[in-house]
Amino acid sequence: MAKQYELDDASVVVVIGSGAGGGTVANELAQKGIDVVCLEAGRRLTLADVVNDPPAMDAKIGWHDRRSGPMVWVCKTVGGTTMRWSGVTPRIQEHEFKALSTYGQLDAGTTLIDWPLTLSDLEPYYDKAEDKMGVSGTHGIPPSAATNNYKVFRAGGKRVGYKEITSTRIAINPVARNGRPGCQQLAFCNSGCAIGAKWSTLYTEVPAAEQTGHFELRSEAMAVRINHNDRGRVTGVVYKDADGATQEQKARAVCVAGNVVETTRLLLNSESAKFPDGLGNSTGNVGRHYTRHTFGHAVAVMPKPVNYHRGTRQSGIIFDEQYHKPERGFAGGYILETLGLDPWNVSNAVGGWGAANTVFTDNYTHLAGLFITGEDPPEAVNRITLHASERDDNDLPVPVIEYRDHPNTLAMRKHALQQSRAIYESLGATEFAGGDVPVGAHNMGVARMSADPDDGVTNRWGQTHDIPNLFVSDGSLFSTSAAANPTLTIVALAIRQAEHIAERMTQKTL
Amino acid sequence: MDDKNTARRRFLVAALTLSTVASALPGMPWLRNSAAWADEPAAEDPNLMARLARRLFPHEAIPDSVYAAAMGNVLAALAGNPATASLLAAAEQALDAYGNASWLELDEREQIAAIESIQDAPYFGAILATVRGAFYYDPAVWPYIDYPGSSKEYGGYINGGFDDIDWLPGEA
Repeated sequence: MAKQYELDDASVVVVIGSGAGGGTVANELAQKGIDVVCLEAGRRLTLADVVNDPPAMDAKIGWHDRRSGPMVWVCKTVGGTTMRWSGVTPRIQEHEFKALSTYGQLDAGTTLIDWPLTLSDLEPYYDKAEDKMGVSGTHGIPPSAATNNYKVFRAGGKRVGYKEITSTRIAINPVARNGRPGCQQLAFCNSGCAIGAKWSTLYTEVPAAEQTGHFELRSEAMAVRINHNDRGRVTGVVYKDADGATQEQKARAVCVAGNVVETTRLLLNSESAKFPDGLGNSTGNVGRHYTRHTFGHAVAVMPKPVNYHRGTRQSGIIFDEQYHKPERGFAGGYILETLGLDPWNVSNAVGGWGAANTVFTDNYTHLAGLFITGEDPPEAVNRITLHASERDDNDLPVPVIEYRDHPNTLAMRKHALQQSRAIYESLGATEFAGGDVPVGAHNMGVARMSADPDDGVTNRWGQTHDIPNLFVSDGSLFSTSAAANPTLTIVALAIRQAEHIAERMTQKTL
Repeated sequence: MDDKNTARRRFLVAALTLSTVASALPGMPWLRNSAAWADEPAAEDPNLMARLARRLFPHEAIPDSVYAAAMGNVLAALAGNPATASLLAAAEQALDAYGNASWLELDEREQIAAIESIQDAPYFGAILATVRGAFYYDPAVWPYIDYPGSSKEYGGYINGGFDDIDWLPGEA
């Protein structure tokens, strides 16, 4: 059962974060008999804490520390952002792993590279990740149930000529599996699944790791610094515990999975005489190449009731636009996914005020809607740094987030919105609205994997180029964004990384 | 104070004190830092706030009393916060300065024109976001737009019509 390690036990691997990346790499290591201490900044909730009340849940699970710059929407709680995610789990496509080779460098400001691994390298781990997470339509799991919103999406998609329309690739149990129930169509997926049908590390990886006897979770433990020795190897992690006291957990190796803002901050804040620009940052790439996808949303008033508030928020996907077809006027592709929203979100997504806004909420029962996620190119100007003087309640420098849409992103969004309009108008929609979703929910790229250390922070295993026992284990690893929702790939990379760490330990090279 | 009320208060205060709120989107991402609040009654004009809410989010079916109650919650949550009070005061002043009478005495068309005249002001986005959040997350509003709220206690929609659509071409 759950174990406790001494602070000076330098044999443990310390994992920072308990979300998709951290929770997975920690459990995978523990399953192999490797001792792990997982530091999680947030509290540990139970399913009984999950209510269908978005403001109340945001207060419980949201990350509310000060940031400067455009919105980032992530979680501080055991389970991390797997508490909030929608569960959509497409794979990255073969050509997207070769973004630079496929698209070419878009302009002088973009920083595309090829991933230092291919789809075939990752395929076995995608299989394991899908099995672990219970992805619908894989491993004998049935498709997700077709909700009303999905049926509209599918019918309209067919009318505009789409072929790859599916209610699979969702990590929400369609039927009971591995001790978790089937989806009851509660509809508040992004406020935490109250019954645990949606995969979250809170009630999968974390308790599974505890059962091995090789794992200790320390919640409300905010990592503030990673220490190293004269040989340039990391030796421990300094954190603030639940009582606000500063502690240091010694470590054999460290895996950082704080989601990109916190991963950047921790690496940069660990600067020293030996590493004056922070850990892993000898080539100046930490915090750079920040991507967050071409986001967009569409909502339409249909001629008859849809009642999209009933059921899974994201229950289906159209893949037809995910390919690289430069004749559309942009590089890379995008994916369309159903999206049902509550009235506040409808009003806010439509934006503005007055009758042009309320025509949507006045027809709430007749709404259908979708979400757009597409590839956005890394750019030199899109990055995360630390504020020179402002500090937060933990006396940490405030992260400064800089992100703007590239012209490629604007062209892609425009195309996606035209297609979305066509989907709903083909079925007689009387009103349509669509636009940007200026929120960093898919955060990627700040410690990216690269074959050449000059291009990134980590190698093909997520090991930093500079420090052999320092790993990054979250979406920060993405060499480029691809179009797919990132969680499945984060989990696949974490499984693969744990296997690599275990091998290196067996060979005594770590 | 229970979790729900704490969250709702924080949400209202955060909305009006953060510069990023105007560009916020799905799932309440702008619900961030806590800020100081107090329980004193509000100094701002509740009638003006209620009317402003109706002009911003006009739903014919929703009675004035519902708008007034939702905005009363905003004013109570914001009371005692000098930063937000000054934002509201600036908006009120600008609206009252627009026509030949106070804003509340103008007709509907002029009231809307007055709002249009301030919609590029630095405070407007925060006020809009605050009113939007307070209004659409007020359960008293939901019956008028056929939104039922929480489904957990009813076992979700698995047997409650999540897939009952019957008017689509070529769909069962």
